[in-house]
Amino acid sequence: MEMIKIFVKAKCPKCPAAKEIGMELKREGVPVFNYDLDTIDGLAEASFYSILSTPSFIIEDEKEREVASWRGVVPTLQEVKQHLFRSN
Amino acid sequence: MASVIEMKEERKDLKEELETTDMALFVRTSEESMNDWNRQRIVDALIRETYIDVDTAKEIAQEVEDLIVTSRIKMITAPLVRELVDTKLVERGLEQARKMHTRLGMPLYDVDQLILHPNKENANVPHGPEATNLTLAERIKKEYALLSVFSQETADAHMRGDIHLHDLGFVDRPYCSGQSLEYIKRFGLSLPNSIAMAKPAKHPEVLLAHMVKFAAGLQSNFAGAIGWDAVNLFFAPYLEGMSDRELEQLAQMMIFEFSQQAVARGGQAIFTDLNLYWEIPKHFENVPAIGPGGEKTGKNYSDYMKESQRFAWALFNVFMEGDGSGRPFFFPKPLVHITEKFFQTPGHMDFLHHICEVASEKGNTYFVFDRGETAKISECCRLSFKLDQTDLEDAKEPWKMRYCALQNVTLNLPRIAYLAKGDDTRLFSKLTEFIEVTVKAHLEKKSFIEKLLSIGERGPLALLAMNRDGSPYLRMHRASFLIGMVGLNELVQVHTGQEMHQSRQAFKFGLKVIAHMKLLVDKLSGRHGIHFVLEQTPAESTAYRFAKLDLRFHSPRSGDIVKGNISKGEVYYTNSTYLNNSAVLNPIERVRQEGLFHPLIEAGALTHIWLGEAKPSRESLANFVIKTFKQTQNDQIAFSPEFTTCNACNRTSRGLRSSCQYCGSTEVDGITRITGYFTKLSSWNKGKIGELHNRYRNQAYIEAQEGETVLKAG
Repeated sequence: MEMIKIFVKAKCPKCPAAKEIGMELKREGVPVFNYDLDTIDGLAEASFYSILSTPSFIIEDEKEREVASWRGVVPTLQEVKQHLFRSN
Repeated sequence: MASVIEMKEERKDLKEELETTDMALFVRTSEESMNDWNRQRIVDALIRETYIDVDTAKEIAQEVEDLIVTSRIKMITAPLVRELVDTKLVERGLEQARKMHTRLGMPLYDVDQLILHPNKENANVPHGPEATNLTLAERIKKEYALLSVFSQETADAHMRGDIHLHDLGFVDRPYCSGQSLEYIKRFGLSLPNSIAMAKPAKHPEVLLAHMVKFAAGLQSNFAGAIGWDAVNLFFAPYLEGMSDRELEQLAQMMIFEFSQQAVARGGQAIFTDLNLYWEIPKHFENVPAIGPGGEKTGKNYSDYMKESQRFAWALFNVFMEGDGSGRPFFFPKPLVHITEKFFQTPGHMDFLHHICEVASEKGNTYFVFDRGETAKISECCRLSFKLDQTDLEDAKEPWKMRYCALQNVTLNLPRIAYLAKGDDTRLFSKLTEFIEVTVKAHLEKKSFIEKLLSIGERGPLALLAMNRDGSPYLRMHRASFLIGMVGLNELVQVHTGQEMHQSRQAFKFGLKVIAHMKLLVDKLSGRHGIHFVLEQTPAESTAYRFAKLDLRFHSPRSGDIVKGNISKGEVYYTNSTYLNNSAVLNPIERVRQEGLFHPLIEAGALTHIWLGEAKPSRESLANFVIKTFKQTQNDQIAFSPEFTTCNACNRTSRGLRSSCQYCGSTEVDGITRITGYFTKLSSWNKGKIGELHNRYRNQAYIEAQEGETVLKAG
């Protein structure tokens, strides 16, 4: 099953909306991983995916291959779901 | 000051009967005269140089005199007297006084070795009397730095090899700098302590002469690289109406002037970076151009694109030819900035092919990637500064755009992993400790340089204190303090059991270490109000020094970790955040993976693509460069071919060989990139030789296709 990684920062105007999408997906049973770029783990993970702006979203399959991504923008819940549930 | 003391043979047994004044000891002074022995000199020196009281000083002087008289030696050197005095200070527990009373200098044996053998700490230093002078002075300044400029904690951390304080022999100078030609165009060559003042240049040749002389002046005031921003653009207003032949002649003069400075000065070649642009950088577009006589020409720089491009093209024609024997020029280094605007500027593909041909043929070209709105100025091997809003404001008056890094301190990352013994918490806490020592070292250096600068134009850093435009030449508030790293790959290997290229998990752990450093360095910058930045240290000798010290202090573990050939002493750690040099990786994948670290390393980073003897087509390199710009975060790349130059017939051939392919002579030397510059292999330290043997030269990714050699990009 796909998982979603959400990258946020403390001082980022669009990040609350991103977090909300994450919470909604979690409620629906999607594995959601949140990364804060002000922390070591968050910054390291963001660097791995070349995330230079927040909020960003990465969807990966079970083999950790990137399926879709949004960088510096907040997609709609619908858009995210389309990619998440495409292969299910 | 006393240098040598001699005792007359017939008087040496008379200690019991004699007072000091009767002793027939003679002192050879540094003024090249002979003085009588006088115990009071010891007292005077102790009072002058330390804080001890007169009575203790007199007691010590008497004890030392007694010792000398009873010792029955025929000749006593002044350093020995000083050591004897120091022993007495130690006996009394006066350690601080002993430190203050230390004599700086070198053993006779070391001086002998130095005069006879080349210095291999820096392959850019030739061997000769003038270079020996510089090295001798460096040694004394290094000792001075460790005793007097830095605290014992900092000095000990350096001596142990936890950290490396770079250029200690140049402790009284900042590290490196970025310059604007506009300064000399506007103010001419009016330097403190100079016997003649030159008004702003009216002709391009004169501007070049000013540039070269100013660079030589700057070299005497900085430890390392001197970078020049947008050289082709700032020359452009002087180049109107020049024919191609004249332009190429000027380009040739520029390159030869900078590459032959070493001969003129006898010392180190000026580490010169020429930053070049095909387009007019956005921040200079609407800036009024300064032309002959330091006058505004009435046009903006955007009006000089043609001259600017012609000059850049001519410079690469010269690089393509190489020197008189076809070797690549070691200096100056051309850094071409690849930006979004580059790809929108007419003729960019032709120019890209031109500079890629030079990269393949001679290796000179550095490709610097400024993505998005970022503008950068490059200085050292890979050191660059991203221009912030204040800098872009300065760009309206470009002569203000002068920058410096005050010091570079490098962390021994594998050492941290040995000490952590596999424990994450301990590893990150040790890393923090090492960074804190580094910050302390920077604050100590800053305070020392500020002391020198405070004397102004009468002081030792007069050139940097000169004020021609309302602020001192060295803009201290814009200075950066570099924190480098060596051996991330080995840290990860010790801690996780795998090297970074061996697993995703190991690679991610490397990113975590650098992320920790980045966040901590940002926090410390805020706390101290100065700009600490991470840099990929070139570590020409540091990677070797750390490996040697860890073999001594962390064996047997380190024996499995250091790279190179232990039996030959050719050991090293992998530079900065690089992947193992010998790892067989698709070059574009190496560029991509190494590039993931680059956004965290604010002061600049570089990936090498070793070519060996291969000469890939310009089209395939251009394709590689475009892919790097568009699909990776890599800051800078350079392609490095290898050459053999013959000292007998003066011809140069491709690849590293044991004999000349033209005349068969074995009097040959190899040439390739050591860190961020080309040099001869005979000047390399053992660690770098070890690395050279291990370099993966991308053989599997360079192939013949339709009659030409191609470097595959994916």
